[in-house]
Amino acid sequence: MKLPPKLQEIVDDFAAMTREEKLETLIAYAETFPPLPEHLKDARSKMEPVPECMTLVFLFGERQPDGGILFHMDIPPQSPTVRGLATILANGLNGCQPEEILSVPADFFLPMNLHEAVSQQRLNGFAGVLMHMKNVARKMLEQKL
Amino acid sequence: MSYAHPEYLVETDWVAQHLNDPAVRIIESDEDPLLYAMGHIPGAVQVDWFTTLQHPLRRDFLTREQFEEVCSNLGIANDTTLVFYGDKSNWFACYALWLFQYYGHQNVKIMNGGRLKWELEKRPLVKDVPSYPKTTYRAKEPDKSIRAFRDEVLQQSNARRPLVDVRSPKEYTGELLHMPNYPQEGATRGGHIPNAVNIPWAMAVNEADSTFKSAEELRALYEGKGIKADEKVIAYCRIGERSSLTWFVLKYLLGYPNVKNYDGSWTEWGNLVDAPIEK
Repeated sequence: MKLPPKLQEIVDDFAAMTREEKLETLIAYAETFPPLPEHLKDARSKMEPVPECMTLVFLFGERQPDGGILFHMDIPPQSPTVRGLATILANGLNGCQPEEILSVPADFFLPMNLHEAVSQQRLNGFAGVLMHMKNVARKMLEQKL
Repeated sequence: MSYAHPEYLVETDWVAQHLNDPAVRIIESDEDPLLYAMGHIPGAVQVDWFTTLQHPLRRDFLTREQFEEVCSNLGIANDTTLVFYGDKSNWFACYALWLFQYYGHQNVKIMNGGRLKWELEKRPLVKDVPSYPKTTYRAKEPDKSIRAFRDEVLQQSNARRPLVDVRSPKEYTGELLHMPNYPQEGATRGGHIPNAVNIPWAMAVNEADSTFKSAEELRALYEGKGIKADEKVIAYCRIGERSSLTWFVLKYLLGYPNVKNYDGSWTEWGNLVDAPIEK
């Protein structure tokens, strides 16, 4: 199964990193976590909750003119690990078509060896974020949004 | 009424005045391990419950020798005063303190209010990671008087002696196998250890600033549920981190002489063949 190219690149990068480099990269991702756009501030009721995460995570997908999806995420700054992990998915999947997102295998991240850097519970949360991104993509296809 | 052992607690002011005190090492221990990198108290070092303190293979803590190496590398001497603080109302700070006591470090304290209070007071956070001259740390034999294993927990339950289940009410009743918003993982059976009373850990702290509740409030909370100083008490949660906070409260803030933390907790008990469970 081929992953979307940007996601594949991130997977390959992480696979080659030491534990320290993985942590540094997650920190860098957390530090550059984008602020929520104005129209999504305090709009959690419109967003998709991710209950698998160790913190409150909300997702919102916006369909672009070319059909691709742009994800926005509401994650508190007190949870940088969750911000960092979620950014892997956002960076890897933003702009992808819904079908591409739905085709990402649930265990795509195993070659990244993230368990060297974060606990198993967090990886469950990470898998949860992907699952809910797929939910967003599926809803867009079903509702022809 | 004041805390039974107030020397185990310091306020943020005290920490701010001891940032450059060579006899003091400030240690951040968080649930989210990247928080330290985002900014920490100047001069503080980090220990992470997962990457620093756990045994790399077995479900256990570091061996005594591995623990000595961690301390030596952090520049901790046997007589250094250690001040622990962290996120989530000092959950993992209490967990780290408990483990340092397990290996015999005597002079340990919690910074009341943890990261949240320090941030609310707009005190400085820095990204510089300090390094201290390496020491030769010598740990003691594990102090098993503060750690309960499953056989002892079973005896305590069978004898109808006090057990405190500090998980959320729905975990206690078995409706959930984890705390709300946390992943469904870790145990094949839900419920609680027979004879355990449910006193969620968070009832011991003030939500606004993560500080501990007053001695009067704490006494009323635990004694009101039949958890008293005259008997051995065992606290547990899911993996032993939330119950470390309750252990700290009972042992040092209320002064109960015999309190143990069962770190196997529900992820062990809820998977243990033949273990009695109540719902």
